Amino acid sequence: MERAGIPTALLCNLVPIAQRVGAPRIVPTRGIPFPTGDPSLSPPEERAWRRRLVERALEAVCTAVDGPTVFEVDDRLGTRA
Amino acid sequence: MTRVVHYLNQFFVGIGGEDAAASGPASIEGPVGPGKRLQALLGDDFEIVATVHCGDDHAAGVPGADEEILALARGHQPDLVVAGPAFTSGRYGIACARVVAAATRAGVPAIAAMHDDNPGLEDAGAAVVVRSGPVAREMGPSLDTFAAAVRRVVVGEPVTGEHGRIGRVPRRNVLVDANAAERAVDLVLARLAGGGDSEVPLPRFDRVPPAPPVPSTADVTVALVTESALVPDGNPDGLESARATRWLRYALEDVDELAAGQYRSVHGGFSTVFANEDPHRLVPLDVARELEREQVIGRLHREYLVTAGNGTSVSNARRFGVEWAAELRRSEVRAAVFTAT
Amino acid sequence: MHRVQRVSLGEETAFRDGHLTVRAEEAVELLASPSLADVRVTWVSPGDSARVVKVLDAVEPRTKGPGGGGIFPGFLSPGRPQGRGTTHVLSGAAVVSAGFLPRAQEAVLDLSGPAAAMSPLAATHNLVVEFTPAAAATWEDVDRDLRAGVLRLAARLAEAALDAPPDAVEDLPVPDPRDGALPRVGAVVNIQTQGTFKDVFVHGRSLSGGLPTLVDPGDLDDGAVVSGQYGHPALKNPTYLHQNNPVVEALRRRSGTDLVFAGVVLSPEPVDQEQKQRISAYAARLCLLAGFDAAVLTKEGGGNADADVAMKMDELEELGLTAVGLFSELAGADGTGPSIVVPPTKATAMVSTGNYDERLVLPAVERALGGDRLDLLDVPATEELELPTAVIYCALSPLGWGRLTCREAA
Repeated sequence: MERAGIPTALLCNLVPIAQRVGAPRIVPTRGIPFPTGDPSLSPPEERAWRRRLVERALEAVCTAVDGPTVFEVDDRLGTRA
Repeated sequence: MTRVVHYLNQFFVGIGGEDAAASGPASIEGPVGPGKRLQALLGDDFEIVATVHCGDDHAAGVPGADEEILALARGHQPDLVVAGPAFTSGRYGIACARVVAAATRAGVPAIAAMHDDNPGLEDAGAAVVVRSGPVAREMGPSLDTFAAAVRRVVVGEPVTGEHGRIGRVPRRNVLVDANAAERAVDLVLARLAGGGDSEVPLPRFDRVPPAPPVPSTADVTVALVTESALVPDGNPDGLESARATRWLRYALEDVDELAAGQYRSVHGGFSTVFANEDPHRLVPLDVARELEREQVIGRLHREYLVTAGNGTSVSNARRFGVEWAAELRRSEVRAAVFTAT
Repeated sequence: MHRVQRVSLGEETAFRDGHLTVRAEEAVELLASPSLADVRVTWVSPGDSARVVKVLDAVEPRTKGPGGGGIFPGFLSPGRPQGRGTTHVLSGAAVVSAGFLPRAQEAVLDLSGPAAAMSPLAATHNLVVEFTPAAAATWEDVDRDLRAGVLRLAARLAEAALDAPPDAVEDLPVPDPRDGALPRVGAVVNIQTQGTFKDVFVHGRSLSGGLPTLVDPGDLDDGAVVSGQYGHPALKNPTYLHQNNPVVEALRRRSGTDLVFAGVVLSPEPVDQEQKQRISAYAARLCLLAGFDAAVLTKEGGGNADADVAMKMDELEELGLTAVGLFSELAGADGTGPSIVVPPTKATAMVSTGNYDERLVLPAVERALGGDRLDLLDVPATEELELPTAVIYCALSPLGWGRLTCREAA
């Protein structure tokens, strides 16, 4: 998809694998079985966390990169249970 | 007598250059152009019974062109299909590689020649590819290498680096005397003594230069793509839970959220309990719709694309990527948010 | 150790002169549970024109002699280390459960033909347990009760041999890494911990959430590790192979001559990156503290399980220990894809258990157990099948049972 000119953001937990295979924009998530969730949070908190992940992914596709780049989500807002 | 069909592009059969690059597949009796020299080098035990040719744009750009070309070649009952040499010519190299890959899949022995830097090398599958020079000026020595390798392929002798082999060499399952645990202990002892060869080569991955960014997501269509195998309840299209060979698409028009019970993951590689409680843990439609309403996302693509990334071979995954890219470009999607488990 | 040479169903459950007879009614009673409406037992033997589909687990019949503690701790005896005394083994036999469970990937076991050389259970006489769930039962209950029943049946079969003279006696001392000047080599066994239908039990409990731990290998002989994991048929580690862990066997066999067997570390395979890093660093430190000079690492499962092996190998090399990992290859049907998605970066010594994607053709068979159809191909289970190696039960055994590897075919 990148070769065809479509920038992608990959939301995943296994960041080293994504880097190894060359995914250009990587947003780290909290567990393999729930890339856009966190079952340890209350439903409203989980939805807020998901929104921040997707917002970060959208920022990533608007950012020029030249190789695998990690776009961490700022965790200081305290949604980590 | 070994019956050979030779594949060439529009230029080497003498139809034309870029002006004839769109020409479709066709067939000529006997050897043509470089095929005449190749016939002379192969001698009387071989007969180039036909030359199949195609324009480079058609051969490398039209889906299914490789199968069309192979069908023409098979019409001549070949014992062997040979393609090229393609030197560093990209589209021609891709065409040669795909033709020999298709022939090999169909059980017809096949071999191509091109330069190491030809981008087509990746597409040759399990077929043998040998080195040519970089440019057509080196046709002579390139055909010498090619003819020698053709002779080896026909009698089933291995073609190795020594014979000019380039590209990926297929790895085949074999049964050996010692079990893997014993071999692992042998390897430990060899390593402790300073030696010992790994049985597995370190992989080389195809590096794709990242696409340029979009200026803003507020004005464009964004797609949701996932390998998490999230499908409508009941898995109506039978997505595989492992070793997926295909991908599916599900409409999101008029869908604001993915309700538990209506969508489920059939992925075989992780526990889907959390995902089935709330499918947005795999495909974040709820917040994507919210961001669309707030015009952070211009428009969300009308469907999501899905496969199961569980033991999926790299070759299938690469094909999904190519097909997704074509699909999304047709729909004028400009960026993709991809979730992976 | 008692060698099973012949098997049959009969009037009583007994073992005499290598002949194991099972009273089917007794076997069915041992498996009785409110979650199972019906249970059937059938023998299949090596060389039979027979296939078992939807294979779930396989268990070697074992029991403890008097005073030796219990077998299958956490299931049939208190959930704590046993590991001492006499263990009676019915070698050459297994109890095999087969049938539909949700999220179980269909496994195929052929007792003859080209796949037979690829599976440890094609070389054993197998008492196949088929079942029909009770209408009101949850799948979780079916899974739990089937597992408990299979373990009871396996122990009962071995009890039939308690008074029979053994065919062989093996003395298996506790590893002592302080011995001598030989290199001290241990095993690191990663255990899948992904919840119901993808979990493995140690003393009856999941290792999920726990830290890697050092165990007495004798505990493995007594069935301390029991499988409840039904993903990736070729990459399964059935209870049978935990009881007969091939790496432990290889290390034991060579202990005192080429090396000293330094012990076994069991480690969970967590499902998130942060925990994978923590567990890998901890496991490597544990090997160092236990006095290992080197370790052989094994896994269970597909892609992300490779990361657990690769990260531990790298952590071990960082600490100056030698590491060798067992990996299966994902090279595509034609064998030209990159073999391993997550290889180690510092350690490089890998053993291949074969390519997951290579196809093979299994001839038609006279009878099939475990189900009438192979849902994967939507064909009758007795038909000729063209399948990837990935579907053959234990064909790419991550514990190193198999003799498959990959070679370049130039």
